Amino acid sequence: MSEEQILEGACLTLDQLCAAAALEREWLVRRVEEGLIPATGSARAEWRFAAIHVARARRMRDIERTYEAAPELAALVADMLEELDELRARLRARRGI
Amino acid sequence: MLSFGPEADVEFRDYYQTLGVARDAPAEAVKKAYRRLARKYHPDVSKEADAEKRMKEVNEAYAVLSDPGKRAAYDRLGQGHRPGQDFHPPPDWDANMEFSDEGVSGSDAAGFSDFFAEIFGRAHGMGRPGSANRGAFRDHHARILLDLEDSFHGPERQISLQSPRVDPDGRLRLETRALNVKIPKGIREGQIIRLARQGSAPQGGDPGDLLLEVAFRPHPRLRADGRDLHLTLPVAPWEAALGAVIPVDLPGGGIQVRIPAGAAPGRQMRVRGKGIPSNPPGDLYFDIRVVAPPADTPRTKELYEALRKESDFDPRQHWGRES
Repeated sequence: MSEEQILEGACLTLDQLCAAAALEREWLVRRVEEGLIPATGSARAEWRFAAIHVARARRMRDIERTYEAAPELAALVADMLEELDELRARLRARRGI
Repeated sequence: MLSFGPEADVEFRDYYQTLGVARDAPAEAVKKAYRRLARKYHPDVSKEADAEKRMKEVNEAYAVLSDPGKRAAYDRLGQGHRPGQDFHPPPDWDANMEFSDEGVSGSDAAGFSDFFAEIFGRAHGMGRPGSANRGAFRDHHARILLDLEDSFHGPERQISLQSPRVDPDGRLRLETRALNVKIPKGIREGQIIRLARQGSAPQGGDPGDLLLEVAFRPHPRLRADGRDLHLTLPVAPWEAALGAVIPVDLPGGGIQVRIPAGAAPGRQMRVRGKGIPSNPPGDLYFDIRVVAPPADTPRTKELYEALRKESDFDPRQHWGRES
């Protein structure tokens, strides 16, 4: 049995997010500095990310690469997909009756 | 473990057919076809049943056909082969050939077919020991799907992880390993379970931590929002009008929900402390949905008739004027 520990909220460091989402560090730094991927903390060493940002970063990277999209456009699509996820979850719960 | 050593035969893949382009299609047409299919099979929006599988195939085809070096090598090797046919590249066919890693990450390549790995696995720069991208194969992260009930009971779960590894010959291999994990009671969606030193290490390297991102499978009645649970409670018109005590099954045990007389449809109610059992525990929110009984027997029709005669209720009284 492995020893486990729960990490809450914004808990991933820059390197952990890079490893988790298989991203280039510089790509991620630019997106955070442009405000497209939210992080808590001001200095780069203090940046912390929530688990949901793993999927966001992957989505943005894929959209940028597939469509040669501007980072801002990829972020807009990621915003909409996150809202779609939320609405789908609500719809599933409503259909449950 | 998946094995695709030099002795193994793999099935030939027709990347041109996958993208639906001619063998002499210019680069721009290949890109256009890829983008069209990437939209069609995008796993977030596609209605196709096998979207995820098709997306992987499309990504693999594009990784080869968009790179002039890989495309030339593929064309040279693939002459005379049909899709599904056994394929084995001749020895040393890749001598003096170089491929760029442009646009292909380690995580992408890990999902590609044995056919791709057979051709490009060895020559692919990112697979070479000591190459700059070697660290990219360290997979420290996985998403685990739990049932909402797991958060109430804190069970042990065996999870199976596939992680890409590079063998001493520089070949990419997918390795499966099983881990027993004690799911902490009160776990919530979006939290991360950290397992110290359980990451997959590069050759001879130090294993990092394994981060398991928690997500819940869709529950037939409940939706989790952080610590809180939401459900829609169907009630009969007389239960909403006259009040009722309704038993509701929850993962942590059954509760009795009191519906006050005159409860309005769509009204949200809260039961404190009946959400996810964390510290502090979450709350249970439920919306009332009034379900009218069907008039499918002479008696129910009679009752509806009586209600129509007795009641001056106008369901459209505020129609279009609700805020």
